[in-house]
Amino acid sequence: MAIDKVTLEILKNHTRAAAESMAFTLYRTAHSTFVKETEDFTTGLTTPEGETFATPTELGATWFVGLNYGRAIRMIDEYEEGDICMTNDPYSGYVCTHPPDMHIWKPIFHEGEIVAFSVGHIHNTDVGGAVPASLSRTLTEVHQEGVRIPPAKILKKGELNQQVLDIFLANVRAPDQNWGDLKAQIAACNTGERKVKEMIERFGIETFKEGVGDLLDYAEAQARAIVRDLPDGTYPFADYIDEDAVDGWPCRMKLTLIIKGDELVFDFTGSDPQLESSMNMPTGGDERHVLLLVGMVYVLYSLDPSLFLNSGITRVCRCILPSGTMINPVFPAAVGMRTLSCNRLHGLTFGAFAQAAPDRLMGAPASGGPIMNVNTIDNRTGRRIMAAINPMTGGSGGRAAGDGTDGSGANQGFLKNTPVEINEVEAGIKVLRYGLAQDSAGPGKHRGGLGTDMVFQAFSPNTKVTARNRDRTTFTGWGIAGGKAGGASKFIKNPDTDHEVNLRNTDILSMGPGDIIHVTCGGAGGWGDPLTRDPQAVLLDYRRGWVTADHARDAYSVVIGEGGIDIPATDALRAERAAPGKDDGFYDLGSRREAFEAVWTDANYDALTECLASLPVHWRFYAKHRIFAAIAAKEAPATNGDDVRALFEALLIEFPQLLPTAAE
Amino acid sequence: MKCRVAVDIGGTFTDFCVLDEETGELRTLKTLSTPTTPGAEVMNGIAEIDQRYGLKPSSIGYFSHGTTVGVNTVIQRRGAELALFTTQGFEDVLEVARLKVPDPYNIFSRRPAPLAPRERVYGITERMLKDGSVETAVDAADVRAAVAAATADGADTIVVALLHAYSNPDNEREVRGIIAEAAPEMTVTLSSDVWPVIREYERTVTSTVAGYVQRRVADYIGSLQAALAKSGVSAELLITKSNGGIMAAELGKTNPIQTLLSGTASGVIGAADVAARIGASDVLSFDVGGTSADVAVIRDGKPAFGTGEMVGDFPIYVPTVSVTSIGEGGGSIAWIDDFGMLKVGPESAGSTPGPACYGQGGERPAITDAFATLGLLGGAELGYGAVTLDRAAADRAVGGLATRLGLGLQETAESIIRVSISGMYLEISKLMSRHGADPRSFALLAFGGAGPMTACLLARELGIGRVIVPPTPGVLSAYGGLIADIRNDFIRTAFVDLDEGGLAVLEGHAVDLERQALAWLRDEQGFEGEARLIFTADMRYQGQSYEIETQVKRADISAGRILPIAEAFHAEHAAVYDHSDPEAPVQIVNLRLVVSGSVAKPDFQPGTMTDAVAKPVGNIDIFLDGAARTANLYARSELDCGNTLTGPAVVSQDDCTTIIPPGFDAHIDVWGNLVIEQEA
Repeated sequence: MAIDKVTLEILKNHTRAAAESMAFTLYRTAHSTFVKETEDFTTGLTTPEGETFATPTELGATWFVGLNYGRAIRMIDEYEEGDICMTNDPYSGYVCTHPPDMHIWKPIFHEGEIVAFSVGHIHNTDVGGAVPASLSRTLTEVHQEGVRIPPAKILKKGELNQQVLDIFLANVRAPDQNWGDLKAQIAACNTGERKVKEMIERFGIETFKEGVGDLLDYAEAQARAIVRDLPDGTYPFADYIDEDAVDGWPCRMKLTLIIKGDELVFDFTGSDPQLESSMNMPTGGDERHVLLLVGMVYVLYSLDPSLFLNSGITRVCRCILPSGTMINPVFPAAVGMRTLSCNRLHGLTFGAFAQAAPDRLMGAPASGGPIMNVNTIDNRTGRRIMAAINPMTGGSGGRAAGDGTDGSGANQGFLKNTPVEINEVEAGIKVLRYGLAQDSAGPGKHRGGLGTDMVFQAFSPNTKVTARNRDRTTFTGWGIAGGKAGGASKFIKNPDTDHEVNLRNTDILSMGPGDIIHVTCGGAGGWGDPLTRDPQAVLLDYRRGWVTADHARDAYSVVIGEGGIDIPATDALRAERAAPGKDDGFYDLGSRREAFEAVWTDANYDALTECLASLPVHWRFYAKHRIFAAIAAKEAPATNGDDVRALFEALLIEFPQLLPTAAE
Repeated sequence: MKCRVAVDIGGTFTDFCVLDEETGELRTLKTLSTPTTPGAEVMNGIAEIDQRYGLKPSSIGYFSHGTTVGVNTVIQRRGAELALFTTQGFEDVLEVARLKVPDPYNIFSRRPAPLAPRERVYGITERMLKDGSVETAVDAADVRAAVAAATADGADTIVVALLHAYSNPDNEREVRGIIAEAAPEMTVTLSSDVWPVIREYERTVTSTVAGYVQRRVADYIGSLQAALAKSGVSAELLITKSNGGIMAAELGKTNPIQTLLSGTASGVIGAADVAARIGASDVLSFDVGGTSADVAVIRDGKPAFGTGEMVGDFPIYVPTVSVTSIGEGGGSIAWIDDFGMLKVGPESAGSTPGPACYGQGGERPAITDAFATLGLLGGAELGYGAVTLDRAAADRAVGGLATRLGLGLQETAESIIRVSISGMYLEISKLMSRHGADPRSFALLAFGGAGPMTACLLARELGIGRVIVPPTPGVLSAYGGLIADIRNDFIRTAFVDLDEGGLAVLEGHAVDLERQALAWLRDEQGFEGEARLIFTADMRYQGQSYEIETQVKRADISAGRILPIAEAFHAEHAAVYDHSDPEAPVQIVNLRLVVSGSVAKPDFQPGTMTDAVAKPVGNIDIFLDGAARTANLYARSELDCGNTLTGPAVVSQDDCTTIIPPGFDAHIDVWGNLVIEQEA
């Protein structure tokens, strides 16, 4: 490090002040309610090379710490003072990760030289394309996901590039909102520029330039110290999305975490081929793409919250990401709903680190609850209503230090709900229940966090409900170190009636007047053997309405009677069920995943991965589906990969057009 | 009637501000607080006022006070044993809250445990609809069962917060009736009484805080009233409020929530008063104590108000003067991280052991120690002689970091201060951006024990040109209580479109609010002067999820004039967010009414200006801006209006020290304020 540590600490506070001021400027002046509600935006400052050295933490999305703008920056040939560039193309520069995200960057000059960029993004409510809001699991190509602006100057020497703006706005459904939000982004970048210039005046250009490098090094050094504290080793783990497309087959994400000294490797080999749905994650093969490292940043920061958040952190890790897979798709794979795969990857990352540090990490975070919107007609005014109702979140996993958090937390701690009273006044629905989902927590010595739970009723015909990111109907959040898996999520229409419908992972549906929906988020995984949980803690959960007496008995072997815990019965039951020396493995994956993996063993999935990798990208998803269907039809498929390979060979014979390229 | 007294009772010190109405003189006094015997510090103070200034208790015609009893009850979790009654199906309202966790980057981050534990939350069979109609009547048997269970479980206070109670309080009142019959000794708090506004979590959490502190605050006010009577003070006890106003303390017994943040609010009111008198319209009030710096934005002479201000771990949603608390005060500890970076705070030496230089056993270097090492403190007694300064102890503590930093003792001390100032710079930059304001157009009004010590250094970092230190910076909160108006807030949730029908609904609410407000002012406060009524509406564009409070004219509501109300909103929206949308439909969520009555203000007379250069009481050796220097030391009590000073200089007074760095000039203005300006 080149500048003294006192000045560096002061510079650090000034760079953070700049980034935070940018965020407040954007938040204050943004037009769309979506930005104000979800805070799905970022601001920051990067080096001339595109490494982010300052990030706000008080406002904004938590997902893009250390995003590298370099590739996008380099796609513009020449910069002049007053230029501002933008892109929302997931396949140009790999800074944007789905089309609703409009990223912008502004060069900051000092005496003719670029010394930094002020940058940021906003998630636009709509950027055109096949469906309103531009996001749907059903989309198969990025072309359907809205207008794409490859890196272009929206301001040239301070002058608005009206043509580019017009093209953008002509293709979106609510252009005023997009333009209003873009102005807020520009204002934020200008704030960043002003603050950088003030810093240069305050510290001098040399100190500023060196200091910025030192801040990246500082974050890197902190991150390395945290990694060094974790035991070396290879920690493989996989998790699944229930469906790889609407009504599809399970979708596997695989991560092999390698810790060596103060370095990490994330090997994604074994993750599914790129999907013909929109859950692909466009990373452009960038081995430090922040979209792949969000879970890592969460883990390192949570292990030591003094970690300064910038791109320096990403230097400790390198990813291996095979091309043509869901974590490194090739153009034009659809990417709109990558949020769902990102969520799964966060949990997967926590799980891999948990093997390395079982007493410092936690069971699976709650997942699978949707972000919900209602579109209905107000019976009184006849007015059409579009309203965001709750994001159905859940808590964090159990860990050595205690139970998980209930209702929200872990990688979903940034979301906010809508009050019941506001939903009833605005969304034309009546809420019958909103709270925590009983018995949803993964049992453990320290249980996982509960999911949220909501029951609501519609009053108008043809009330449309969208439920983005539905998952965890089948595969549930795993427990660790003896802890058990959390409960599945639920999405049920007219529960406990003769016309009950299990909506499973449906993401759009219609309700009629009087129809009732019950929706919950899956629960988080537990930590430690539930038989060792303090019976008083089980009783307290029972008294709180979070655990039923049946569940207390089944999951914890705690017998609760009229007057509290039936101690003799509990002792007897626990003694009966205790199985000393029995090793169930590090994870409890839940019964449905165990059943699935009895067929789709590691050997089978590895064989599948290898076979599919040999195919041209546009055949892989199809071939996977064919092989899955064939395995499902088999009475007792082999577990060693032979049947998978045989089925693949059969496919090659069935489709001779594959043979010439299969060797590639 | 000869004098007015205002008291601010803090955790360590109790501050008195006394106005002799005959001479116009403002006197101050600090005594040690006596948390275990509330009232004793007030009696001590009254006795001392008599002794020092010859002002008899019987001559006190006005007595207002602010207290931290309520806040401390929450922070120390020493309040009521709460039970909460909700609408059945919504018992987890406090647990779920608004979902967001305190630190979303931390996967282990969790919300603090609620004041009403979930096992003492009881769902009641009843249901109010959004329009205030009763869909399901209260099930009395259910309530009685819940009361029995809550009693058996040790609850002494029941908070009732039912869905849509803002729209119609009948079900909550019915529940209260049933509780009163079943358990008359139970304290009961209704959400519709505390603050009847839409959004169930916000209303419920506010009500639990209200219920939690109720008994303690009521007991405390009772003992204070008794102490006053015993001391021979016949004036009615007034209490300061979080909204910057005052009310009869008797009302604080039943409505304590309104008083919780009165300490910081009164400081801001005091600051606004000082600023207004000298014509400074945009001011940052900067109140630094031992553990935190409290900053408030005053624009056009008016303090900003906020909702969701924090009391300990909990947000409360009653109108409150908005104050941002930065975790850096005189006691904040400096340390070095594993990578050699110098950090300050958030750990604080507090009042015990306090900074090392207080000689009470503190060993780690606090900000105050750094100032002591630089020779900037110690020119006078601290805290009215309550502590003496141990410079050697400060040097030892600061010196502990010097080796690791590779710096000399004084460079280390100055580094500590620079890092601490940059931390404040960060937080104030955020605050200013949130308001869309440029600090360079503001003045910094510094008070509290450590505010004047750091103000000029902070002003320099922020680009602020002018620093104002009032004559009595150590007791500005008490001073705020001396000049505050009687003030109360009322609210009705309307949720109407801004159209003819909507305004007709609003008119009905306005009539109700007005009747309620005047009844409060006339009957409960016994105020006979002119009543000031200000109506505001929380408005938004259709589809937005947040509202902007906009002042509206009562006459426009009555006459159904849409246009001026809409225009006021568009203008306010543009002022807050830099844009407006005159085409978009507008909604009115809440109608608010602020009622206030002016109490007679102290009639300060401007001093006689001299043009003399101030006379120092001596020279001191200091280290500042990287060099050893000689600075003039002044006694604040000896400075006269019109005196001029040039930095580097140190001004000492009973309760604080003001540091004027090189490059700053200062003068005493006609009101006795120390006004410090950066040389252009």
